[in-house]
Amino acid sequence: MALAWLRRDGPPIVPNRGWAALLTGVTAAAMGFLAVLSLAAGIAAGRLAQTWQAELAEVATVSITAERTALDPLIDRAVEVLRTTPGIALVKVLSAEEHAALLEPWLGEAARIEDLPAPWLIEVELDGAGPDIPALQARLDASAPGARYDDHQAWRGPLADAADALETLAITATGLVVLAAAGMIGLAAQATLAGNAEVVRVVRLIGAEERYILHAFITRIALRGLIGGGIGALAGAGALALLPETGEAASAGLSLAPGPGATLALVAAVPLGTMAVAILASWLAIRAELRRMP
Amino acid sequence: MPSVLAVLTIMISLDQVSFGYGGRETLAGLSADIPAGSFHFLTGPSGAGKTTLLKMLYLEHLPQDGRLSLLGLDPAGLGQREITRLRRRIGVVFQDFRLLDHLSVAENIALPLRVAGKRPEDHAADVSDLLNWVGLTHRMDALPPQISAGEKQRAAIARAVINAPDLILADEPTGNVDPEMGNRILRLLIELNRLGKTVVVATHDMRLIRAAKGAVQARILRLTQGQLMLGGSEL
Repeated sequence: MALAWLRRDGPPIVPNRGWAALLTGVTAAAMGFLAVLSLAAGIAAGRLAQTWQAELAEVATVSITAERTALDPLIDRAVEVLRTTPGIALVKVLSAEEHAALLEPWLGEAARIEDLPAPWLIEVELDGAGPDIPALQARLDASAPGARYDDHQAWRGPLADAADALETLAITATGLVVLAAAGMIGLAAQATLAGNAEVVRVVRLIGAEERYILHAFITRIALRGLIGGGIGALAGAGALALLPETGEAASAGLSLAPGPGATLALVAAVPLGTMAVAILASWLAIRAELRRMP
Repeated sequence: MPSVLAVLTIMISLDQVSFGYGGRETLAGLSADIPAGSFHFLTGPSGAGKTTLLKMLYLEHLPQDGRLSLLGLDPAGLGQREITRLRRRIGVVFQDFRLLDHLSVAENIALPLRVAGKRPEDHAADVSDLLNWVGLTHRMDALPPQISAGEKQRAAIARAVINAPDLILADEPTGNVDPEMGNRILRLLIELNRLGKTVVVATHDMRLIRAAKGAVQARILRLTQGQLMLGGSEL
């Protein structure tokens, strides 16, 4: 058709040119990259805090300090007390080999618990809310002096607090990335508008409403935000994949990567976020500029 | 108080209108009535305020003092949306054309339809007729930088009338074209006037005004140092 140029939406009224267009895309890409990393750190910290809280809340330890010759009867009496205490599901006395395995990282393979003034450990799995600790400790003191119940709260609390703080820090970092990107994209939008001031003046004079001009600019900026954010998010996911494996520590929740499902969710969500930031920042900036124009 | 009929037949009314830039008064207490369907030349030396007055008439500026009435409406009392609607009833031909360089001639002509939310494909025949009328059918796909000044001005005229405006304002429409093309552009503007459009042409080109003599019943508004010295004298 001779008038094929009269397609429904027509060509863009804003020409695709200038450093401001590139700046929007690059800013969105940087935001996407940093957002994936900081959100991944937040997810990892959150998971760490949750894992530690859950695992440590389910177990406790009873340590018995006594002369080696007096130890066995004390262990038997402590086990008897524990087995008859509500809130305790399982009681397991660690063997000499298990004690040696615990000491091995510090003392080497030759370490023998029998030769050391170390306490003997009984592992306790809790049921529900666990036992009434003061009452249990009183019964242990009476039946097996030297037996001490430890619910790990002394080091569980600070660890969980540290993980929570790390999570908060990651969320704050993400917020700052968003704010910085919004500022940059807003400036780029203003520059785009300034670079196309003549186009804006012409379309206003021939009868374009403010929302038409906003739409014309923002659709372009939103697209750049989406594409730039997508590239940045993929690069961020690539960087996460390149992180060194944490081996067995991963099973303790110590992995730095958020896992395939969460990474995929980040790669899908972050570009939408960068697009939303681009839309909001450019809308505010361009609207303010248009209101200043005659 | 003017009668309703008088309001409807007066396209532009200036009542002691003043405007200045940076404290310097460019237009001082202008008063004039321009009837609907008339053809006016706005003349005067460079710097007399012709472009400033036209900018006021196409609503790039509002009067700083006095009262302006356009198509029976006072722009000072209108919101942004109403101003936009009013602009759609005014076709403007700029001295420097102001075509968008990244759009083809046909796309530039159809632009007022697009910004008004109309579907250009529904008006393909109008665009085609206008391209034919201004003699640019063969240049419809060219970009503005690829065409001559005369062709650009004719494209600008076609763009100004695509929305069937009531009022056509032309600012030095022959300022950048040779005399032959100037005459051709003048004929287009006269044709529009014969179709019932009110036409105001700002020009300091006396040759153009002489060329219009006999072809159109035009009047002259002469601006000198911000004052309308010769309000509506006949050609």
